[in-house]
Amino acid sequence: MSGEHASSTISAEVRHVESLLEARGLLEPGEIDTRIDEFLAGGSPANGARIVARAWTDPGFAERLLADANAAIREVGLSMAGGIQEQRLKVVANGVGADGTEEHHVVVCTLCSCYPIALLGPSPSWYKSEAYRSRVVRDPRGVLREFGLVLPDSVAISVWDASAESRYMVLPRRPDGTDGLSEEQLAGLVTRKGLIGTAAV
Amino acid sequence: MSRMNDVGGMSGFAPIVEEPDEPRFHADWEAHVFALNAALVRRGVYNLDEFRDAQERLPVREYLAASYYERWFAAIRMLLAEKGVATAEELTHG
Amino acid sequence: MADRFAPGDRVRTRSVDVAGHTRLPGYARGAVGTVVELAGRHPLADERARGRDAEPHAVYHVRFAAADLFGAGDHSVVVELWEDYLVEERA
Repeated sequence: MSGEHASSTISAEVRHVESLLEARGLLEPGEIDTRIDEFLAGGSPANGARIVARAWTDPGFAERLLADANAAIREVGLSMAGGIQEQRLKVVANGVGADGTEEHHVVVCTLCSCYPIALLGPSPSWYKSEAYRSRVVRDPRGVLREFGLVLPDSVAISVWDASAESRYMVLPRRPDGTDGLSEEQLAGLVTRKGLIGTAAV
Repeated sequence: MSRMNDVGGMSGFAPIVEEPDEPRFHADWEAHVFALNAALVRRGVYNLDEFRDAQERLPVREYLAASYYERWFAAIRMLLAEKGVATAEELTHG
Repeated sequence: MADRFAPGDRVRTRSVDVAGHTRLPGYARGAVGTVVELAGRHPLADERARGRDAEPHAVYHVRFAAADLFGAGDHSVVVELWEDYLVEERA
């Protein structure tokens, strides 16, 4: 379905189900509006940007973030508990690994659309699309190129499929020439695509 | 028996399209469906795996024709009927 | 309960094509990969999807070479898998 007519039909149907559930005591009056307001005030990519900027400026924090992200993000006043239940957050870091190889990570949920929504807000539509979910596991280099991110062959790519209970966030590599920037300025460089891995930062 | 949701590695879907300045929801009803699902899971009417399973059990043709939140709403109605909260008829008369 | 697998273990995923809800993606069925680390313990999604209460089981990040999944590709894919989907792969 699409278009305005379909949209007004489905909104009437949704309202109908809500009132039916209210009548049967399964929803409190006004509960849905309260939940929407809470949700819209909650997760946002800015949270991820704050975490990244802290990791770039505080190596100890970066280490704790990669070891136990749920505990580390509480240090900056954030948590993964804002959704239906607290979920495990796994942060994967771009850059040169222990074996000297440069790694780039990219996140997908091939089976549905799992995403750290409580922390980062809703995912973009392309992340939920069959087009992205089907292709990025098979041809990440090609998909990243379409996003404008051309990685040299020497960069090893890991695709993380959120197929169970963890939710993932990429810690991008700090861009060169940013030594003089404050933590807040650094946070301003980080994009949602950078946190998913379809952009460098 | 792979289900329609299991698309990893599959070919033939449309190109990936980015929407500049995409809103968090494209219509009010989408936000309502999102919140409705969260409320029903919190209340224990069904769990998240039952919710995913219900989407996967939608007829393939309906699944592919539906938008993201249309699938959610179809799954919510399917589960409410299966759990005996209301009949399918009660849930569709808008 | 002791964990069945440790980081570095080689594991093979279930190849059976189950009828119901599962969280083993089709592209990773019957494939051999390496355990990265434990990702927590949770009731098996396949059971919860049937509305059943289930005991928490170990979940692992398992790394696969793309070439082993798709016959091509120089990348790797890390899938998060319940121990129920995995058997030890003997060298």
